Amino acid sequence: MTDDTDETNEDDVVAPSAASVRPLAQLTQVFKTYQMDSVEVPVIKGVDILVRHAKFTVLLGPSGSGKTTLLNMLGCIDKPDKGEIVVAEARVAEMADDDLSDFRAKNIGFIFQNFNLLPVLSAYENIEYPLLLAGATPSQRGKLIPRLLKAVGLADKAKNLPGQLSGGQRQRVAIARALARKPKLVIADEPTANLDSHTGATILALMRRMVDEYAISFIFSSHDPEVIKAADDTIVLKDGMIQEVWRDGEKVES
Amino acid sequence: MMTLNLALRNLLRNRRRSIATLLAMAIGSASILLFGGYSTNINYTMLTAYVQSGGHLKIQHRDFYLYGSGDPTAYGIADYEKLMAAIKDDEVLRKMVLIVTPTLQFGGIAGNYSANVSRTIVGNGFVAPDITKMRLWDEYDLGNKPPMFPLEGAPADAAIVGTGVARVLQLCDALKLPSCPKPEKEAKPEGAAIPADIAQLSALETTAASTATPTSASRIEVLAGNSRGTPNVASLDVIRAERQGFKEFDEVYVMMHLAQTQQLVYGNSSPKVTSIMLQLRSTAQIPAATARLAPILAKFSVSQPLAVLDFQTLNPFYVQTIQLFDTIFGFIFALIGAIVLFTVSNTMNTAVVERTVEIGTLRAIGLRRGGIRWLFVTEGALLGLCGALVGVVLALVLSAIANRMGLTWLPPGSVDALPLTLTVWGETKMIAGTTMGLLLIAVVSAWWPAYRAAQLNVVEALRHV
Repeated sequence: MTDDTDETNEDDVVAPSAASVRPLAQLTQVFKTYQMDSVEVPVIKGVDILVRHAKFTVLLGPSGSGKTTLLNMLGCIDKPDKGEIVVAEARVAEMADDDLSDFRAKNIGFIFQNFNLLPVLSAYENIEYPLLLAGATPSQRGKLIPRLLKAVGLADKAKNLPGQLSGGQRQRVAIARALARKPKLVIADEPTANLDSHTGATILALMRRMVDEYAISFIFSSHDPEVIKAADDTIVLKDGMIQEVWRDGEKVES
Repeated sequence: MMTLNLALRNLLRNRRRSIATLLAMAIGSASILLFGGYSTNINYTMLTAYVQSGGHLKIQHRDFYLYGSGDPTAYGIADYEKLMAAIKDDEVLRKMVLIVTPTLQFGGIAGNYSANVSRTIVGNGFVAPDITKMRLWDEYDLGNKPPMFPLEGAPADAAIVGTGVARVLQLCDALKLPSCPKPEKEAKPEGAAIPADIAQLSALETTAASTATPTSASRIEVLAGNSRGTPNVASLDVIRAERQGFKEFDEVYVMMHLAQTQQLVYGNSSPKVTSIMLQLRSTAQIPAATARLAPILAKFSVSQPLAVLDFQTLNPFYVQTIQLFDTIFGFIFALIGAIVLFTVSNTMNTAVVERTVEIGTLRAIGLRRGGIRWLFVTEGALLGLCGALVGVVLALVLSAIANRMGLTWLPPGSVDALPLTLTVWGETKMIAGTTMGLLLIAVVSAWWPAYRAAQLNVVEALRHV
């Protein structure tokens, strides 16, 4: 795991810059338009975002504000029409598809709203899958997976299929899967939306703990203003544009 | 291994659909194999019949095959005994050849003068013990036991005729042939009575033969032109009528002892034969035996050009029948292949639609497009392999049941009904070919859905409902 520490002096930051924060990911003047039948719908309209190392960042905003599109672009599964995206020092917009796949496998973890576990694989195997993609040895897998299962509180559910787990447990497996390859960035699109409030709070707390323990950057989207409490940084979106940016509890941009 | 494991589990996930696809493939595979088994059995049955009666190879005068039927004796092989000895003494051929035996074919007229009837015939002289041994050949373990060659142990003037010959020569009563009706109205001969010189010849032959065998109601006279072009007659005692597979052949065929035939055709001249038949231990030895015969024949070909012909060349009907069955087999394979193609393709297309979100997830966590393609192709291949293997088991079971039911059939060109056997067990090449063929079709069927899955946009795949 990375042991990077935050060296940001937030007070100086009005606009993100390399001098003020240490960026893990950066979107610069990004535009994205979707084609809906014959109508062009601009979703992202010239957005600049900075995601800090080992910080818990929340994208807040109503439906249609562009949260998921921004996450997709940060997660390197979507490309902007215009603008630049740098993740872990790589200009991902210029990468070929296979290189992007390898880049995602190495640097990015995903946690989905609907958990998206492979239903035919057990909890253990779901966590193992990205490690197999990475060519991890059986002994490496044998050491890491039980640790991850223990960390997310599912040590006794290793053999359970997703269908035999509750929603909260599935999301814990998804978190473990996202962390398995020690990514630099974890993308979570409304990870608590399908969970009851208590389970959602537990998952949130777990993710928060992972950020602190493993020094991984988490960025996730939510409608819920309550999650701001758990976040280091908060980016508020509206109509495809950034409305506010809060960093360590202080507003730095509007 | 990971892909195989995942593919297998995905197939087990929707068991009902996978089983339906698998069953369609298994039934298709079993149908192909059962028809293949039937076709193989026809091949083996016909091949065995031809090899039992005529051997694998025949050494003949080079032109006998094309022109010999008009005047067989003009294409006789001189010094045939030396040639046979050379073949038997060759250390390579000795290991391959089971029987080397001469035959003499001739054309003539057979007459039952007591009934005032005659007809043209094709006569063949054989060494009877050799023919009995040849009839025991059974490389493919068909278990058919043909009757002993009736000329073996029979008197020197004995003959066997086709049932058609017996019918025309009105020998049915004498030979106690069933299903051999007499003509309602006896045909009156319109030609001249038997010429005096032929009657005299026949009388001489009959007198000579009657010293050994009493005259019977089944006696016929066979007239043939000898090697010098003059007629000669043999008086023969027909001991049996054997039905030949084809009516045209059945009505002209006469079998005699070789010595008797040579006496008829060559008189006191040095005897010849028109063919030397070679029966090999295995049909697969034909090319090797033919190659080995070439230098031996070259030595004997100085004054008489000789050639070796295999039973396939000599029996175009066999080749045509096998080609016909091969064509039908190919057609059935193509038909079932098309069904398999659409079935597997449909199953895989449905799987791609159902698992779109999963595809998006796999792509998101770093699986390349190639990995997705490979996953779905593996699923198709697994379906194909399992379906084909279940089909093999099904075909083996069904063929075993059918083979125990005691069904019989009459092969083309055959006289006796034979057990209907579906030869699937042991046909490794056919089983492997069918399995590989269906596997290939399944892979091809899965290729397009797999390609489509790999080309899915990750974001759209994750959004799929």
